[in-house]
Amino acid sequence: MSQSSAAAAASGPATTNSSLHTPAPAAPHRTAPRSDWFTIPEPLRLVFKRFPLVTYAPNELPVRSPSNRELPVLYVFASDQDVLKGLPSYNPSCLKWQTFLKLAGVQFRIASSNNHASPTGALPFLIPSSSPSDAASQTPIPSNRLERFALEQGSEKLADAAGSKLDAYQALLDHRIRNAWLYTLYLSPGNASLLSQLYVEPCSTSTVVRTTILHKLRRAAEAEILQSIGAPRVPPTALCIGAEQAFEALSAGLGSDKWFFGNSRPGLFDAAVFAYTHLLLDDSLDWIDTRLRDSLLKFPALAEHRERLLSRCWGQARE
Amino acid sequence: MGLLLGFIEITTSVWIQPLASGKPSRLMELHVWGEAFGLPSIDPECLAAISYLGYVVPQNEWSLIASNDVSVSPDYVLPALHHNGAWISGYLNIVRYLASDISPTPADGDLTEAQRADALAYASYLSSRGSALLSFLLYVSPSAWTELTRPAYSSLLRFPLTWTVPLKLRSAAIAKTEHLGLDHLAADIDPEDGSSESKTTAPVTATGFLRLPARPSIAEPARRFFLTLAELRGNKTYFFGDEKPTALDFLAFGYLRLLRVRTPHPFVERCMTRNHAGSRLIKFLDTMQKGVIQWKEDKIQDTLPWTTPVAQSVVAVTSRFVSNATEHVPGVGDSWKSWRGDGVKEPGSMRDPAQVLFAVGAAVAGLAAVGSAVVFKALSPFGNATHRWEAPKGGLYQFGDIGAIFNGLPGFDAPAAAPPVPSPMERDTVYQGEKVEVAVDVEP
Repeated sequence: MSQSSAAAAASGPATTNSSLHTPAPAAPHRTAPRSDWFTIPEPLRLVFKRFPLVTYAPNELPVRSPSNRELPVLYVFASDQDVLKGLPSYNPSCLKWQTFLKLAGVQFRIASSNNHASPTGALPFLIPSSSPSDAASQTPIPSNRLERFALEQGSEKLADAAGSKLDAYQALLDHRIRNAWLYTLYLSPGNASLLSQLYVEPCSTSTVVRTTILHKLRRAAEAEILQSIGAPRVPPTALCIGAEQAFEALSAGLGSDKWFFGNSRPGLFDAAVFAYTHLLLDDSLDWIDTRLRDSLLKFPALAEHRERLLSRCWGQARE
Repeated sequence: MGLLLGFIEITTSVWIQPLASGKPSRLMELHVWGEAFGLPSIDPECLAAISYLGYVVPQNEWSLIASNDVSVSPDYVLPALHHNGAWISGYLNIVRYLASDISPTPADGDLTEAQRADALAYASYLSSRGSALLSFLLYVSPSAWTELTRPAYSSLLRFPLTWTVPLKLRSAAIAKTEHLGLDHLAADIDPEDGSSESKTTAPVTATGFLRLPARPSIAEPARRFFLTLAELRGNKTYFFGDEKPTALDFLAFGYLRLLRVRTPHPFVERCMTRNHAGSRLIKFLDTMQKGVIQWKEDKIQDTLPWTTPVAQSVVAVTSRFVSNATEHVPGVGDSWKSWRGDGVKEPGSMRDPAQVLFAVGAAVAGLAAVGSAVVFKALSPFGNATHRWEAPKGGLYQFGDIGAIFNGLPGFDAPAAAPPVPSPMERDTVYQGEKVEVAVDVEP
C-alpha cells in the first residue's frame, strides 16, 4: 500500500486523475460524509439528552444593589448605616457634591462605595436615573460634570457663581485648608484611630491588608501636601497656621452675610466650605488632634454658616 | 505655594529676640534664585520679593544673594530672608515679617478686613493657578525647556548639579500642571498654540471608532487667569486703590512679568495681548515698572544690591549631587528622602527606628540585587556545553572536513606538519625526524 502510493506520488501528474476519481463512487452511498464527524455517537447522545438535570431559579440580586433606578444614585464614601438615613458623607469632596445636589433640589439617593468602583478613580460619581433598555442613560457622571447635571436636573434656582472671586477663594480651600485637612486626618498620629475607622477598616479584616492600606494612604496624603506646597519638607505647624489664616480670610469674606459673596441663596462655594467645616465640627467624628478644629472655632461666622446649611439640607434627618 | 513655611521662625526666633528699635541692626540678606531671561530672578516669588524689598527697604539696608540653593533656609524654600539670625522664607511670610517688625508698612496696613481676605485669597490663587501656568510655559513645554529654561539653570548652578536640580524642578512643574489637566501635553505639545494633538492616547467611542479629541489648550485657563486678576483690579491703578501698591501687586507683578518672557512659542504672551483683560494687565505691568519697581531691566547689576554668595566647597556640591541622585535609586530613594528628613513632620522629630531598619534593609537588598546581577552577567549562558572537543587545527585540518580527509592521505602529511621553523639549528633534526616517521608509517 505504502509502496504503491509512493510510486503514485513519484509518477506525478499521470496518476492525479485516478486518485481524484477513487472517492467519487463512494459518495452516493453516504448521505453526508461530513456528518460523520459532527454527529454525536448514540450512547453519548443519550447521556447528554438527560441534561440539564436541574434548573435552579435565578439568583436574587444582592441586597445593596439598586432596587429602583428611578432616582439618580450618588456614590460616596459613607458607612452603610449613614447611607440608609442619607446622612452626610465623611469625605470632603463627596460631601461637597452631596450638599450641592441637595441645594440644587435634585432628588437622589446615596450609595456607599470606594475609589476602585469609580470610572475616574475618585469618588463621587453619579449614575443618573435610567431604564435597563437605554444604555446611554447608564453612563456614570464624574464629579467634574456634576455641576452641569445639577443645574439641568435641579428644581431650585441657584445663586450665580460670583466668577472671579469664587476662583480666588476656591484656591484657599483647595490648597491651605485641604493640606491642613490631609495632615490632620491622614498624618497626625492622634487621629490614626479615626482614619482607620473611616477608610481602612471597611476595606478588609486582614491585618496585613489593613497595614498596607494605611501606609499607602499616608504616603499618598504626604505626597499631595508636598506637591501642593512645593517644598521637600513641611512642618505641620505651618500647615495649621496656614489653614487658620485661610479660615480668617473666609470668615472675613463671608462677613455678616448669610451666604458667600452676598448671594441670597447658597451655591457651590457654600457647599465646598461646608464640606470641611461640617466634618471638623461634627461631633460624631472623634477628633483627637483638634488643632484644625480649634482654629475653625475661632471664627464663629463659619460655624454659624455650617449650622445654617446643615439645617437647610439635613434639617429633618437630624430630628 | 511655599508661602506658609516661615511661621516657625517668626513665632520662635523673632518673638524671642525682639528688635531694639525700628531700624535693623544688621544688613538683611535676601536669598533667591538667580537671574535669567534678563530679569533678576527665574522664580516668580523671588522676583516679587526682590521688587518688594526694593520698594520698602532702603537700598543700603539689604543685600541680594543669588544662592540658588533651597537648603540655605531651614524651610527649604526660596526666597528666604536672613535677618538677625532668623530665617523667614516664602514671599508672604517675608512681607508679614517686614510689616510687623521692621518698617512702617507701605500700603497693606490701610486695607479693610475684607480686602485683606481678598489679598490672601488672590495670593493663594496666584501661587496655585499662576504657578501652574508658568510651569506650563517655562518647564513643561519642551521647546521652552530645552532652549530657554534649562540653559538658564545651567548658568545658575555648578557643574554636576546641572544634571539633577533642573530635572527635579521640571518633574515638580509637570506634577503642578496636573490641576490644569494639561500634564499629559508634556510629551507632544503643538508648539504653535500650546494645544495638543494627543497622539499617544486615542480615545475611542463605544463602537470602537476613534473619537476626535477635543483639543485641550492652554488658552482657556490663561484667559480665565487674566480675567480673574483684571476683575479684582478693575479701573484702579493697583489692586487695592490708586495711591500705593500692596504686597499683592508685587506678587502679581512677579508672576505676570515671568509669563511675558519671550519663549520660542509665546502662546501665553499672544493670549495676553489679544485678550482684553490681558492687555489691561500689560498696562498694569508697565505702571509698576515705571513707578514702583526700583530695578531696571537693562541695568540689573547696578540697580540691585547684589552680593556674591559664599562659594560652596566641592565636597558640599558633590554631596548635594549624590543626595539628589540617591533619590532616584529604585527601592532606596523613598527611604533616603525620609531619612534625610523630607516629608510632613516636625523639624526636631525623632527618626523612627523602624524607618532606619527599613532603609538599611532596602539598601542591603539593593546592593544584593546589584551584586547578584553582576554575578549573573559573569556566568556563561545556561545550556552552553561545559566541554568542547575540537579537531586539532594543525595541518590540513584548518581547511575543515575536506582538509581532515586529505590530512589522512600519506603525501600531504609531511609538509603540513612542518613547523614554522623557530631556529635554524633545530630545523634539520626536526625535519629529519618527521621524514623517518613518515617512512615507517607508509612502508608496512
